Amino acid sequence: MRNAERYPFISVESTLGEAGLQPRLPLTLTHHEQSVTVVGLLDTGAMVNVLPYHVGVDLGAVWEQQTTALRLTGNLAQFDARALLVSAAVGQFAPVRLVFAWTQAPHVPVLLGQVNFFMEFDVCLYRSQLAFELCPKGASA
Amino acid sequence: MISAELLDTLRALPRADKLHLMQFLVSELAQEEADLLKPGLAYPVWSPYDAVEAANTMLAMLKATESERHA
Repeated sequence: MRNAERYPFISVESTLGEAGLQPRLPLTLTHHEQSVTVVGLLDTGAMVNVLPYHVGVDLGAVWEQQTTALRLTGNLAQFDARALLVSAAVGQFAPVRLVFAWTQAPHVPVLLGQVNFFMEFDVCLYRSQLAFELCPKGASA
Repeated sequence: MISAELLDTLRALPRADKLHLMQFLVSELAQEEADLLKPGLAYPVWSPYDAVEAANTMLAMLKATESERHA
């Protein structure tokens, strides 16, 4: 993959050994000049990006001001969610706009899903090498 | 890592011991697989994998703000 950046899988559960390693990507989110660095899970099965409540608060977002309500599914269905648009910087790449489902769920990880993380980045997972590579769409051609 | 010395030792085992060893290893592997998921524990799956409505709303929001940026 040309022009890609490579990242290692990160251990999230040491008792599982290699099975506890996941593709987690460090990225810096910015909302109205306020920035937070998070580590997001590359979740190809997630239809949308998900932002835990405390990260939105750290970004200075105000729940009541985010008026676009969302209905999530699975374990997240029980929590209210609002759409939140942020700027996201990954590695040395130019920042992109990511839209998140900002959920009131407290313990959910930052999830990077199809809408719209995987619409912005091409990603290759090399599980046997415990690494992944990614680059902005169109940059690998 | 399996050393050459260990392989030589295994090669020298009688047939019955090799079979016994094979059964032991298969049993160990099966146990390791079972240990990955422990009974009685909850493993939350957060992925909103079929959140079509939310995805459409978020795409519309992206499109609307994109139009505003270019207006």
